Amino acid sequence: MNLLADVVAPAPLVLNGLVVGAILFALGLVGILARRNLIVMFLCAELMLQGISVSLVSWSRHHGDWGGHVLVIFVLTVAACEAAVALVFVLQAFARTGRLDAAAWQSLRESNLSRTIDRELPAIDTVPPKFPKLTPAGIEPAADEDALLEREHV
Amino acid sequence: MIASILPSISPGTLLAGGITAAAASLWLLLPRGRSAAADRTARWLGWLLGVVALATFIATGHRLGSVGEEAVFLTVSLVAVISGAATVVSRSPVYAAIWFAMALAGVAGVLLVLGGQFLGVATIVVYAGAILVMFLFVLMLAQPAGLAPYDRVSNEPLLAAVAGAVLLGVLSLSIGRLTAEPPACCMMGGTKAALLAGSSSAAEPTTAAAAGIDMLADNHVARLGGELFGRHLLAVEVAGVLLLVALIGSIAIVSRGAADAEPTVARRVAP
Repeated sequence: MNLLADVVAPAPLVLNGLVVGAILFALGLVGILARRNLIVMFLCAELMLQGISVSLVSWSRHHGDWGGHVLVIFVLTVAACEAAVALVFVLQAFARTGRLDAAAWQSLRESNLSRTIDRELPAIDTVPPKFPKLTPAGIEPAADEDALLEREHV
Repeated sequence: MIASILPSISPGTLLAGGITAAAASLWLLLPRGRSAAADRTARWLGWLLGVVALATFIATGHRLGSVGEEAVFLTVSLVAVISGAATVVSRSPVYAAIWFAMALAGVAGVLLVLGGQFLGVATIVVYAGAILVMFLFVLMLAQPAGLAPYDRVSNEPLLAAVAGAVLLGVLSLSIGRLTAEPPACCMMGGTKAALLAGSSSAAEPTTAAAAGIDMLADNHVARLGGELFGRHLLAVEVAGVLLLVALIGSIAIVSRGAADAEPTVARRVAP
């Protein structure tokens, strides 16, 4: 019972850091559950890792040692490896299906789950982007077609 | 501050309301394939609810010592959280990646405030400089023109938002219990309290104050390097091997997959 009396309550900064880490982790969880684009799902996984990093550094601050910092460095390393391998898989998946859609692989689902069928989406008002137009200045010189083909330097 | 204006509402109720508002906000903001007008209304409502939720979180947060420190922490954490939410709900994956870069900037600021100077810089360099650029390269290779149908819908947005809210609620509960006074903890049965103490932070020695200040000393990076290459040298070597394996593995998958992918597509088209 007296064990708990020895525990120093975390400083306010540490508690706020833990809350920020928890919010980032929950946001990433929502994203990875809800979104269907494979790349956005990976971005959300990275967001969860960021939440973990903030929590680890908060605890490191609380305990006054380097464990959390060292662990975050390894999280960075593993995240780099994971991103490299995962993006290669995403590219392969795109090469096979032509879509970055997680539901394109729904033939891998459990046999008792029903099939995801996309309903018809309402049209979006696609306004073509307006790019700035350069006004031509001066007189356009007559192009010599041979000179264009035989150009030695780019 | 706001909590003192509204004395009738307990912080727990306020936090529960904030988490509910955050979940409702995410549910409204997630793409669900609505028509343009309905989408605009839902997004507007969603951001409004998100602001309410953030205000509740700020109101229930803990006050730091000085106003300057509080302002800096509030700014960087708001940047991180708002950009993170925008990453999750952006329709276009390119915008999601750019919002994620913004969230990384906020996280780096939070790490700096928390005393991780090297980690703040390393996050920017490794994530925003390398990993995010890799994501953008893949997007350029694979993203179709315009908004794909699968970017405009979500899998079970309601259940996902509820799951996030439940997770956040559980985490806030356990973070809130950290501040509870020891008598409040000891009201439960003795064996249970001892079990809890044995399994959680009481097992480790807490040297909070003195070493915490020491961590912010001038030779921060040198001491972190000493710790990393002294006590954790073997782990560093393993991490190096892991990087090499990931490099070789991704190259191998690309080169084998390129040979594999062609016949697969042909086979799928043929029957």
